[in-house]
Amino acid sequence: MILIVGGSYQGKTEYAKQHFSNHNIWNGLHLFVKEKLKKNLSEEQILDEIHKKTDEGHWVLISDELGNGIVPIDEKDTQWREVTGRILILLAKEADEVYRVLLGMGQRIK
Amino acid sequence: MITLVYGGSSSGKSEFAENLVCSSRIQKKYYLATMKYSPDTKERIHRHRVLREGKGFHTLEYAVDISNALKELKEFETTESHASEGKCILLLECMSNLVANEMFLDGEIKSAHQCADKILKEVEALEKQTDSLVIVTNNVFEDGRNYDNETKEYMKALGMVNRQLAASAESVFEVVVGIGIKQ
Repeated sequence: MILIVGGSYQGKTEYAKQHFSNHNIWNGLHLFVKEKLKKNLSEEQILDEIHKKTDEGHWVLISDELGNGIVPIDEKDTQWREVTGRILILLAKEADEVYRVLLGMGQRIK
Repeated sequence: MITLVYGGSSSGKSEFAENLVCSSRIQKKYYLATMKYSPDTKERIHRHRVLREGKGFHTLEYAVDISNALKELKEFETTESHASEGKCILLLECMSNLVANEMFLDGEIKSAHQCADKILKEVEALEKQTDSLVIVTNNVFEDGRNYDNETKEYMKALGMVNRQLAASAESVFEVVVGIGIKQ
């Protein structure tokens, strides 16, 4: 599995399409996490669902970077960015390659 | 010698910093915790304690006035059971809490300059008394939101501290999804 992270509008999807055209692309992983948190799923359950969905084939998972700001006022937003952050750490450990995309440029960090 | 570890919330910067300290050859390890204990932070403090368990840290807790930790550190080292020569390494976590604690202490708001100057002086004192100082700090600067003046002043202070620390550090790492990127 390949993981791509970065801020919004940095060209992550474009980068994935250019470099990993033979892979399935899952865009907006952070939004998936948000949706599942709304349904009261735990961190483990969400990770489990991600694993199940990416069980077959070659996958590129793409997520926005959410953690680089002031602690949100809304507790739910805080929970979202923290759970997303921790899930990304776990996915990065499993990933064969990790890229961070900035200004359309991919930096391989694993 | 300062090593600066920078990253966003839940980026894995704590674990990265702890591993950095644990992989150092220095035996005596201190952990300087700056987070105030409150119902909000209880869970997080607990999680970090579990992460540190068995890694051989002696914990010091100072939400403000971190140079006072030196006194406790020395006292600890002179107690019989811990009397030991040799080098020590200190992990300070986290600068973002320390700046907030110093700035908003007793409802009186310090200016960013005043706050940053005080902290940097105290860090200098810690650096002199330790052989290696690893500082964890936070990236709170990239959400593009406009904040009230107090928060802006806080961000300014943290930014000043971060930049000064980076300038005097031996090495700087940015942590992204648990991976340390050497700057």
